[in-house]
Amino acid sequence: MMNPYGKVAFYPGCALDGLGRSYEVSIKLVTQDLGLEYEKIEDYNCCGALEVKNVNTMAGLLLPARNLALARQMGANAVMSACPGCHYSLSRTQYFMSRYPKLNEKVNAYLEKMGVQKYDEQLLMIHVTEFIYNAIGPEGVKAKVKRPLTGLKVAPYYGCLYNRPKAYTLTGYMKIKDDPERPHFMDELLEALGAEVVPFEAKTMCCGGPHVYSDAPTSIHLEARILKEAKRNGADLLITDCPLGHVAIETNMNKIAEKYGENLRMPLVYFTQLMAFAFGHSPEETLLTANITNPLTVLKRYL
Amino acid sequence: MPIPELEKPIIKGLIEKDKVVVDGVELDGTWNAFMIERTQTGYDPTVWDEIANTVEGATISLCWQCGTCTSGCTMREYDANYSPRRFIDLARKGDKQSLIELQDSLWRCVSCQKCTHRCPKGVLVEEVVHSIHNYMLKHGLVKKDPGTVFDDLFLDTVMKNGGRISELTLGAASAKAGFVTLSLKDLVSMGGALLRSGLVMEVMKPNRVKDWDKVKSVLEEAMKEEVVPE
Repeated sequence: MMNPYGKVAFYPGCALDGLGRSYEVSIKLVTQDLGLEYEKIEDYNCCGALEVKNVNTMAGLLLPARNLALARQMGANAVMSACPGCHYSLSRTQYFMSRYPKLNEKVNAYLEKMGVQKYDEQLLMIHVTEFIYNAIGPEGVKAKVKRPLTGLKVAPYYGCLYNRPKAYTLTGYMKIKDDPERPHFMDELLEALGAEVVPFEAKTMCCGGPHVYSDAPTSIHLEARILKEAKRNGADLLITDCPLGHVAIETNMNKIAEKYGENLRMPLVYFTQLMAFAFGHSPEETLLTANITNPLTVLKRYL
Repeated sequence: MPIPELEKPIIKGLIEKDKVVVDGVELDGTWNAFMIERTQTGYDPTVWDEIANTVEGATISLCWQCGTCTSGCTMREYDANYSPRRFIDLARKGDKQSLIELQDSLWRCVSCQKCTHRCPKGVLVEEVVHSIHNYMLKHGLVKKDPGTVFDDLFLDTVMKNGGRISELTLGAASAKAGFVTLSLKDLVSMGGALLRSGLVMEVMKPNRVKDWDKVKSVLEEAMKEEVVPE
């Protein structure tokens, strides 16, 4: 299978430099093993997430636009984000810039003032799941597995912004994008590792996102629902591709267990961590040790 | 089921008196109940115009009031008053009073994007709802809610910390703003994992954009600019 994206720039986003470090490290391991290439945007800035856009329109567009311009300066054809929140913000900026020509001019004028080149709207935003799925595919992944995860029951959690809204992320418009309502790319990648993907209705359910701090009781309830759905279907692990949801559920795990029952406790793993683990990397290399919910209690039987 | 607060003006309009005199003639029997004026007045048509003239709210005019947004809404399950469809309706009518009454719901959007994704008319519902909320904030009609406080704090943290955020800087800022985030038990389990993996150094490491001061000054200039959807 060929990489359909051309040159890929990697936008890590702030989350991956903090608690999401294990995600970035494992993406690196997995793509190296699979022979996939990308170049990191070194001087990236925060994409503004779901917060800045509510405060100020221009700031909400300029922060992501600077990253897009940097990616174009590197000669990239596509920007790969690991965080669906960043994927959303970058796609949103592209949408508004291509929709309103005068706004586009203004944004570009400010970009030049910042010392980066104008952004020409020639990038395709992709998520790391889509990248691995389309550039290598489940068959290619299967060929690299050294530690088949036979008998491991997993629930894949994609998060809200991986494939929504279709106007920004372009899901449903082209074959290389995932299904807009019922995503399956990660499912297939996990099945290729030998794991069993349980039926999981909360795949794209909200974790409370931007109101994790400001509306905590609602967020905790939403997170408990995700865990409950995974438990109900007998999953051993919740597999995530979203550092926002991952960190929110992990840090709230004690509160969820206190409020909605200890039986909801479940380890969380980034899907690339699980892939790297199945490819034969040690738990230390894949930073499985850094996950607060300690997934090694489940995974040690495969060591 | 109790009558919703928003429907009460109609009920209040019913006057029941023991003795009613009209033009010197006393009425009795079933005549002593009158409905006073129950039409709401004071709609402000500029609300629609102003919201339709923002980048986020431009699609408000496309809405057909079908309710697809609200039927799948995440927040709707937690708050019976939370209804994007109704917010759009009220904003287009210019019914500021109802929007003021709904202020404890208006801010609660969690940006899950189901509404925008599913809208058959291409309304960017999530953006429009934020635009309506921003209108209310801008005109001082609603009090500042925790969501907005956090949004401001987020932008402030980005600006002050070299264009990036970390769990540490954002967590510290939100703790300072009074959002209780982590208990001691959480900190212990989190700290344990960070130390075990050696990740603690990564989290503590300062992380800045190279030319941030220059970028920041341009951003501050840009933020003063009024933009329209053109």
